[in-house]
Amino acid sequence: MRRMRGLRLAAGALALGLGLTACGGSDSGTGSGGSTQASTPASELKIGLAYDIGGRGDQSFNDSAARGLDKAKSEFGVDIKELEAAAGETDAQKEDRLRQLAEGGYTTVIAVGYAYATALAKVAPDYAEVKFALIDSTDAKGANIENLVFAEQEGSFLVGVAAALKSTTGKLGFVGGVNTPLIQKFEVGFTAGAKAAKPDATVEVKYLTQPPDFTGFNDPAKGETAANGMFDAGVDVVYAAAGGSGNGVFKAAKAKGKLGIGVDSDQYNLPALAEVKDVIMTSMIKKVDTAVYDFIVSVKDGKFTAGEKVYDLKAGGVDYSTSGGKVDDIKAQIDDYKAKISSGEIKVSSTK
Amino acid sequence: MTAGSSTGARHASPVRRARKIAPWVYFLIAVAAVLVLSAVRVLAGATDLTSSGTVQAALTAAVPLAMAALAGMWAERGGVVNIGLEGMMVLGTFGAGYAGYQWGPWAAVAFGLLLGVVGGLLHAVATVSFGVDHIISGVAINLLAPGAALFLSKLYFADAPGGGQKQSPRIADAPKVTVPGLSDVLGTVEGKHWFFVSDVAGVLRGLVTEVSLLTVLAALLIVWSGWVLWRTPFGLRLRSCGEAPTAAESLGVNVYRYKYLAVIASGGFAGLGGAFLAVSSGQFRDGQTGGRGFIGLAAMIFGNWRPGGLATGATLFGYTDALALRGSAAVHALLLLLGIALVVVAVVQYRSGHHVLSAVAAALGVLFGYWYFASDEVPAELVGAAPYVVTLLVLGLASQRLRPPRMAGEPYRKGQGK
Repeated sequence: MRRMRGLRLAAGALALGLGLTACGGSDSGTGSGGSTQASTPASELKIGLAYDIGGRGDQSFNDSAARGLDKAKSEFGVDIKELEAAAGETDAQKEDRLRQLAEGGYTTVIAVGYAYATALAKVAPDYAEVKFALIDSTDAKGANIENLVFAEQEGSFLVGVAAALKSTTGKLGFVGGVNTPLIQKFEVGFTAGAKAAKPDATVEVKYLTQPPDFTGFNDPAKGETAANGMFDAGVDVVYAAAGGSGNGVFKAAKAKGKLGIGVDSDQYNLPALAEVKDVIMTSMIKKVDTAVYDFIVSVKDGKFTAGEKVYDLKAGGVDYSTSGGKVDDIKAQIDDYKAKISSGEIKVSSTK
Repeated sequence: MTAGSSTGARHASPVRRARKIAPWVYFLIAVAAVLVLSAVRVLAGATDLTSSGTVQAALTAAVPLAMAALAGMWAERGGVVNIGLEGMMVLGTFGAGYAGYQWGPWAAVAFGLLLGVVGGLLHAVATVSFGVDHIISGVAINLLAPGAALFLSKLYFADAPGGGQKQSPRIADAPKVTVPGLSDVLGTVEGKHWFFVSDVAGVLRGLVTEVSLLTVLAALLIVWSGWVLWRTPFGLRLRSCGEAPTAAESLGVNVYRYKYLAVIASGGFAGLGGAFLAVSSGQFRDGQTGGRGFIGLAAMIFGNWRPGGLATGATLFGYTDALALRGSAAVHALLLLLGIALVVVAVVQYRSGHHVLSAVAAALGVLFGYWYFASDEVPAELVGAAPYVVTLLVLGLASQRLRPPRMAGEPYRKGQGK
């Protein structure tokens, strides 16, 4: 009898645990959607956005997407719904998230991150009237999907030039979050830029984790250890293309009096990094916010076009930041390379 | 009771008794280990093997693991298996994030401990009072805790300056201490790259330079736990609840009370581990623990449910982890080191009559040695696996010397000895 009671309790505890995890994983369903739908005119845009791991507040990639969404919201007063992803979730969970948005009447859905490609390829054909945007991937194509991709290698090339010019030892470091083709684009561009500015420069490369372990984007302790190893080996500038783990890289740089390079957002100006901002010499900016905003505007104006849209250096999709004034003295040289890439004189490969 | 006596009889059969090892033997083993490390460093040209930076990184990585292992030891010594360590660590990271950004690192540690205790209490109520299967309760806590932490972090951190839905604002780091003078002298010696001398200097320098007070606290807690559990009447009673609860009960020990204390202490230590992780990372992040609770459990088993052993296990894991993250040249050298270690194990096993095990170790050792000489580097895809491979090998080869608390994980009801 006692044994039975114990088992029932355990089952109860398990169910409770699962329930809470589910609550934590996503904002509560479409409950609020019903009431707003009634109060807004039918012509109003309803935009759903599904984040990648890290979500709003990651000080990096997802925050950039959120800024584009916020801008659209403040300008056109669109109705938005944001859902977050959890680390280590399956494609089925991503699929559910996209379906939840599409079923909830959100006719414009933005999937942030290449991790949604598989899920979107399955979901999109079922909702022909919904317009989807997929950021960072061309793996899911369709008549109602716009693929927003960036030329990360071109932006990384520019910060590679900056790093090589600022380095006194000629040794540079690259800390990647997870060893995926996308992050390799950052590495390849960075190395190419460094070698272009200083042919004898060397780049130490370290990826924090290997797929399918994606914790490398979310583990500052690992970022700090990897960066410390590089600094001890004589490296004096490290490019952190590692999402939230980049915080650890900057912490290490600050402790050792070295320099770091940020990624995705202008990380010098992020409040969460205020205490280490003086080591962030520049950031490779990837204007996910512009892409998201442009996409929303195109749908609003009825100008949606399916297919790939490349945000490269020429289109202003990627750039480097000058906040903090640490690269002011070499700005002319960097801008020189920028002009050459824009004009097509220099072609930056995206693969090794 | 019958079950207890039959296992007792099996263990009483004349198996080889473990020889008592004198302290100076440990010292000799340590010296020999550094000698081998030094030789490998010179041979492979991997200066990072014994550099002070590696030792520092290893210590930082080892502390949360050691705390998790210590937490597991407290619970299992009291007879309760605590597989919910990971969840309790997550609670600890959240508690540290919540208090840390507002009131500093020490408040972070206190709150992490407190939330860990809450997790431990939950496990104690389920397993001790209600007799729930220990594994089921632990798994439930591992599912519950990350959800709860995420829910709370959205509640408290989303609008805080510098915070987000899944991360806390910045936590100030705990103070770090350096032994003045000594650190510089050792640094000079380390820089010379002399055989053995520089290696010892590098390791020592890592231990006396920029050491976080949290690391010092963790070391003290490990020593303190050893003293409490093995040198006081309280500890004897607590351990008796893990070995033979019915016998303890017959001698007037309130078994439930001791089990409760053990599991609550376990939760507290796990929470501390989480708090140390969050403070040294500078913030709470969702999913930050990344399986460290489970690795802590492995370190505990490696350490034979004893404080010295689990500290060694956690350090070993922290060391390989640090090497893997700092540079792949050192990981390549690790292959050779592993090969040598396995051959040593093979010799030791052969002498103590375990011929099969000895053969396996020798074969693996030769294989690793061959791999080292036949290649220039370890593929990046495998570097990250180095800590796990090392742990797995060590666990696999050392397991016949291990003896868990006899009744850990077994259900116990009050009065069942009558």
